Amino acid sequence: MTVTSTATRYRRFAAIGIAGALLTGGATACSSGGSSGGSPQPAGSGGVSPVQKVLDNAPVASAADMPAGSVAAQIKARGTLDVGGTDTSPLFSFKDPTTGTYSGFDALLGEMLAKYITGKPAVQHTQVTVATRETLLENHTVDVVIATYTITPKRAKLVSFAGPYFDDGQAILVRKNQTGIDKPQDLDGKTVVTETDSTAAADIKKFAPTAKVLLLDTNDECLQALEQRRADAYVLDQSIVGGDALQNPGKVKVVGSTFTVEPYGIGVPKDEPAFKAFVDNWLRKIYADGEWTALWKATIGAAIGGTPPTPPTIGSVSGS
Amino acid sequence: MSSTVGSVERALFDTPGPRAIRRIRMASVVAAFCLLAILGAALVEFGRQGQLAGDQWALFTRPSIIRFLAKGLTSTLEAAAVAAVIAVPLALLAAFGRLSRRRWTRLPSAGYVEFLRAVPVLLLLYVFLLLLPRYGVNVGAFWMLVLPLALSNSAALAEIFRAGVLSMDRGQFEASLAIGLTETQAMRLLIVPQVLRRLAPALISQAIYLLKGTTLGYVVSYTELLHQAQTIGEYHNIFEHINGPLIQSYIVVLVVFVAINASLAKMARVVERRQVRRYGRGPVAGFTEDFMATDEATLHTH
Amino acid sequence: MLARAAGSSLAAHTGDFLHGILVTLEISSVGFLLALIAGTLLAIFRVSPLLPLRGFGTAYVEVFRNTPLLVLLLLMFFGLPEVGVTFGLLSSAILGLGFYEAAFVCEAVRSGINTVPPGQVEAARAIGLRHWQVLLEVVLPQALRAVVQPLGNLAIAAVLNSSLAAAIGNTDITGTANHVFADVVEPIPIYVGAGLTYLALSLVIGQLTGVLERRLVIVR
Repeated sequence: MTVTSTATRYRRFAAIGIAGALLTGGATACSSGGSSGGSPQPAGSGGVSPVQKVLDNAPVASAADMPAGSVAAQIKARGTLDVGGTDTSPLFSFKDPTTGTYSGFDALLGEMLAKYITGKPAVQHTQVTVATRETLLENHTVDVVIATYTITPKRAKLVSFAGPYFDDGQAILVRKNQTGIDKPQDLDGKTVVTETDSTAAADIKKFAPTAKVLLLDTNDECLQALEQRRADAYVLDQSIVGGDALQNPGKVKVVGSTFTVEPYGIGVPKDEPAFKAFVDNWLRKIYADGEWTALWKATIGAAIGGTPPTPPTIGSVSGS
Repeated sequence: MSSTVGSVERALFDTPGPRAIRRIRMASVVAAFCLLAILGAALVEFGRQGQLAGDQWALFTRPSIIRFLAKGLTSTLEAAAVAAVIAVPLALLAAFGRLSRRRWTRLPSAGYVEFLRAVPVLLLLYVFLLLLPRYGVNVGAFWMLVLPLALSNSAALAEIFRAGVLSMDRGQFEASLAIGLTETQAMRLLIVPQVLRRLAPALISQAIYLLKGTTLGYVVSYTELLHQAQTIGEYHNIFEHINGPLIQSYIVVLVVFVAINASLAKMARVVERRQVRRYGRGPVAGFTEDFMATDEATLHTH
Repeated sequence: MLARAAGSSLAAHTGDFLHGILVTLEISSVGFLLALIAGTLLAIFRVSPLLPLRGFGTAYVEVFRNTPLLVLLLLMFFGLPEVGVTFGLLSSAILGLGFYEAAFVCEAVRSGINTVPPGQVEAARAIGLRHWQVLLEVVLPQALRAVVQPLGNLAIAAVLNSSLAAAIGNTDITGTANHVFADVVEPIPIYVGAGLTYLALSLVIGQLTGVLERRLVIVR
């Protein structure tokens, strides 16, 4: 739910046509064991996949950053980082059902954080949904949630957010032959599908008060509903609907540009302020040393091309 | 679900004469033709839309995919089994509480059973997912699925147990009191073992409802069979450009459930028949048969 | 545009809740009516002398009773359009629920058929009634009256099961609760209220069933 965004320009790069193929290969990464980083995709000349290179170059925290008794030190002692993520978000965190390996921006980010703390990218994945993320953090089932998790004041009452680490925004997906829908206001009187409890579910009505909202559970169901003409438009984060448009270029297209800002944060339990600051510092570090940009290039960039965006400013969003 | 053809059904079928036999044969052929025609038309349309294409289905013969689905099935069975283990004692407690002569055990038990039978499991699930965590009660995806299932099914089971006890010959109970057993002893030593044994078929068919109920795990992202199938559908839609394997995934799930549940139902019928042989068509046997015919009515789960 | 206005109050959603109750009533009542008709027809199939009809009845019951309703609804909603048949949100839920419950209605009616004393059937045949006349005029009316209570329980089950319609996007009571929760962070009144509404609906149906049964029951 709710996914990502990458900046924009999906249509432009969809036209390149090879994007889909790149997605399968380039964005593959991140096995939970962390050693291989998923199916290796040899990067041109070198034998090491871009994903593996990102992991190899990722920083490791100094002992001074993790005082005894701190959450980070406990995780290091345990040896693995418990990450709440999704299995089904193409560009951000996707589990290959046949191999069990994860790929995508969020998945790789989780492994980088694991390496920062424990020295190796060892991640224990727990599947989360929009509805379960807060709960799993509150009861400490997971250490962090990295799941295209939009920072909102409502959610910030329940959990803390490190970041933001990515700016996404909502976009409109329509059927290929659809005309007359270019901006959110055009959705008035139309049937709009989105995922249950996504930020879009609440936002659509603000832009198009008379739109009829249809809530379904997964991206695939929403896409299917659009293709089957049960809805006139599908509104969700650009990174999701953009991914859909890439996969189904003959059937659907993204129209207009993003009309909201969805800043993604790393969810941290509310009662661990020191750990949140620790994660924030790590994000600052990878923003500064170019690792974040390398991460973008190895995952989203490999799928859709284009120039990497500038990482957002830590703490710039209310709730973070 | 009665295995034996009822007496009225037999009477309705009274041995037909030669003309009736001819008519029945003709009508059978016509009916069979119509049914096959409808089925055929549906299949043709399905194929015309490309849903029968080999690559849509070949997927489900890959060992890795089968393993992936098997993992989901294991989780499904696990959730159902644990829910059953919790539900049975709760149900016994509630049933005997409700049968008790003491008001202070009868009323709460009745309230427990009636309330839980009247609330959808899905809503109970939301209570565990959204409401309880506010009060510091966090149980994780597995228990968020299992506990609501167990609670809801314990209420349904309690009613089965209670009906089973009520159908027992009261004389047994009175006789045991007369020889000096306490009420509790009489229940524990005499009534419960008999009721449990005689209700075996009903209890087996209860398992069917538990299994079906586990599909609600999608709400809490418990990776049961349906969830795994959805992941496969989505994965191949995205990465392999096969259109709509979601539907094939659903059909595979449906077939697996029907296979397992139909076997359970068959097992219940076999046990039922054995009981009838052993105890005759006594009060419980008859009860069980009627109950199983309408078990959904008592159980309210999916 | 960070997100949602956190200020919306529950009271603003009263209309939504009433609408949700209407949708639940619509899905469960029309779905149950469909189940009554289809289920009785299936029961007739299952006691028919025609082997193909009996086979169809048996197969139908085996498949639909053993399938999780959720899977059925998903197939109905996302599967049928792939073969060129598209039903709306509400119709998909009604049809899915109706076809599912029909299997149970069929078995209830069939057990009701078996409560009719065989002597009546023999008498009816003796005065020259045909098979279908015996069934429709003698057996079925009594069979249905004998299973008022189980059918009432199935009606309650229909109401509770209709909550799954939310999974295919319907704004019934459960779906409305999810819609409102997207807007107002107050899970307790929302979900407890929804639970009590289901409880009230069940109690009302239970009462109605009781009244009906007292009127219709055949004391033997």
